[in-house]
Amino acid sequence: MDLTYTAAEEEFRDELRAWLRANIPEEWGRPEFWESLGDEESFRVRRDWERDKAEAGFAGIAWPTEYGGRGGTPGMKAIYDEEMVRANAPRTVNALGLTFLAPTVMAIGTDAQKKEIIGPLLRNEVIWCQGFSEPGAGSDLAAISTRGVRDGDDFVVSGQKVWTTNAVHGDKIFAMVRTEPGSQRHRGISMLLIDMHQPGVDARPLKQMSGASEFGEVFFDDAHVPVTECLGEIGEGWRTAMLLLSFERGASGIGQYTEFRRQYDEIAAVAKRLGRHRDPVVRGKLARVLTELECLRLHAMHVLTEVEQGRDLGFEASMTKLQWSETFQDLWEVFDDVLGEDATLDAVDGLDLRPWHAQSMWSRSVTIWGGSSQVQRNVTAERVLGLPR
Amino acid sequence: MFFALTDDQREFDSAVRGYLAERFDLDAVRGVVEDSGSDGHPASLWKAAGEQGWLAALVPEEHDGLGLGLVEAQVIARALGAGVAPGPWRATVLAAEAVRLAGSDEQQAAWLPRFAAGGAVGAFTLRGSAPGVLPAVEYGGVADVVVARSGHGLALVEGATATPRGSYDGTARLADLDAGAGTALPGATAEVVEELAARATVLVAADLVGVAREAITRTVAYDRDREQFGVPVGSFQAIKHALADLHVGVTMAEHAALYAAHAVDARLEDAPLAVSVAKAKASDVAVQATGAMIQYHGGIGYTWEHEAHFFYKRAKRLAGQWGDADSHRERIAALTLPE
Ligand SMILES: Cc1cc2nc3c(=O)[nH]c(=O)nc-3n(C[C@H](O)[C@H](O)[C@H](O)COP(=O)(O)OP(=O)(O)OC[C@H]3O[C@@H](n4cnc5c(N)ncnc54)[C@H](O)[C@@H]3O)c2cc1C
Repeated sequence: MDLTYTAAEEEFRDELRAWLRANIPEEWGRPEFWESLGDEESFRVRRDWERDKAEAGFAGIAWPTEYGGRGGTPGMKAIYDEEMVRANAPRTVNALGLTFLAPTVMAIGTDAQKKEIIGPLLRNEVIWCQGFSEPGAGSDLAAISTRGVRDGDDFVVSGQKVWTTNAVHGDKIFAMVRTEPGSQRHRGISMLLIDMHQPGVDARPLKQMSGASEFGEVFFDDAHVPVTECLGEIGEGWRTAMLLLSFERGASGIGQYTEFRRQYDEIAAVAKRLGRHRDPVVRGKLARVLTELECLRLHAMHVLTEVEQGRDLGFEASMTKLQWSETFQDLWEVFDDVLGEDATLDAVDGLDLRPWHAQSMWSRSVTIWGGSSQVQRNVTAERVLGLPR
Repeated sequence: MFFALTDDQREFDSAVRGYLAERFDLDAVRGVVEDSGSDGHPASLWKAAGEQGWLAALVPEEHDGLGLGLVEAQVIARALGAGVAPGPWRATVLAAEAVRLAGSDEQQAAWLPRFAAGGAVGAFTLRGSAPGVLPAVEYGGVADVVVARSGHGLALVEGATATPRGSYDGTARLADLDAGAGTALPGATAEVVEELAARATVLVAADLVGVAREAITRTVAYDRDREQFGVPVGSFQAIKHALADLHVGVTMAEHAALYAAHAVDARLEDAPLAVSVAKAKASDVAVQATGAMIQYHGGIGYTWEHEAHFFYKRAKRLAGQWGDADSHRERIAALTLPE
């Protein structure tokens, strides 16, 4: 058992901390600050800040240096996740590009794609959307019907994507498109890299239950994309998508634990302020969530160990997703239990509850996106436990 | 970062499991369960525990032990739980731990080599106080010596009078002990007593984790084969989802027991929290998993003939030992909420 990081990893932590300390204004720690900016301005501030961070060498932590990454260890990536939370650093605006697209391009992209996609992505010059879900294809991704018809050196794309994160800020979208006419299910799909700034693409915001509009819908009406802008082989989009989704299987649990644990401590402080921290039922509920949070931390250490040993986690990723998403949702349920009959109010006892409510609403989404909890349970039961389909 | 079992620890695990599978399987367990008048202390299993180092794991090398840690001990506990194995292994290990942590040089020299080799059976309890009655002591009836509270510390008591206490968990035996004053363990400070309680709690949590994992594994195997409505019942999503959630829960409990063992040994700052997290999680998940074992076997799972009740009953007993889930959650609340 060795729960420490190496000296080089700790040195990296010090460097990163110093940079974050010098580059994050104190007011960024206050949720009111971000609210006062509004959606547009806050996106711009985050985009610029993240670019500066990349230029300072704190992006692509575990990516090879040939792609502009830092060439760090999985431990450094875990430290990065942890320190970003501790420093109140803004969330990335390019999560889908960074988490999914970049590693897939590194693995199977053409030389031109590697060159054109990864650098600009790291510097936030291009914001990427993920175009998988459609009105008729959510959990059942193979049901997509957006189609691409060959026209000379281009595909001409028509159809609709939905729930697309960053739709209105997106510059490009990696989209699952049926390029083989009449093909069924997993066959005949290609992963096309489509420029969103063209007449054939129309992105519209969708308002979420929280009131924010982080996602939207994307309509394709004879949008053009060169056939060379296909990630993986033409017609092999399903294989590309499976590879792409496998990159979720990283060791991000340590950062998530750090974030959720801080939220737990904040909720505990609210409980005290409202005199609810002595209620045995509230104590029991909080302790139940804390138990699951600690398990998440240990699971994250287990995952990091596996990654460092070079093991493929495979379908174990479903367990990670279930543990963090269900626990996060429970945490915010308990927050409402702490507030009791005042749970829905905008403010209680001089506390502005609206930023908390935003978290609480967000917690309803995490068990849906990235493979719903039901889908994760199917995967765990069938692929891990081996129960019959 | 290395949060996992080493190859040596895995080998220890396979050795214990291999022995039980070959030499002390569920039929042998049944023999103990059904012979409720017996002492629940099969000689063959005890001999193996002595010869194969299960009892010696935590005893220092200078006293003929293996000088290993609580991580290895929880590996053994988990394997014994998976096999619902009877016998005073944990009772003896905890008595030995008390002597190791609080005994004088003479007490250590007298007892530790015997405990390590299986030459003496120990018991350990913090309920009641010597002299006096110590209630429902695990394997108190076969113990040569019991470590119990005495005044502000602990005492080693030999020659206590045992009265068996019936329990529906037939994989162990309990007894009330009428204990004399015994001899004090001179190093038994409040901190040492607390550490011993933590060690006991971790080993019970590990046993529960072993029980829970085995319950799920057996249930999955059964539900893959059992057909109703023309298909395996394991293809029904209601069952799949329940088992998937249990798989996640048991995996988390495995992590928690492993971490708690390490945290206690390494004296990490969060050891008290880790111990309570492990016990709360293991207690809940073991009762759920063994309850599910009965449910997802259907009627056969409710019979005496089937083994599900061994697992369920052991889970029920151990879930309450050394603090039930609610009491550990209260400790967790006390450790993580403001005053
Ligand atoms: C905040 C947010 C951001 C998102 N961002 C993106 C994005 O950037 N790009 C993108 O492509 N998509 C995105 N999505 C979409 C997301 O991937 C889908 O919502 C998700 O895959 C579920 O699909 P669906 O909404 O069609 O629900 P459905 O698949 O219709 O599911 C409805 C219900 O049925 C359950 N269900 C479905 N299939 C099964 C089954 N086999 N067994 C048991 N239960 C089942 C589901 O769990 C759910 O409870 C986002 C979603 C949200 C909420």
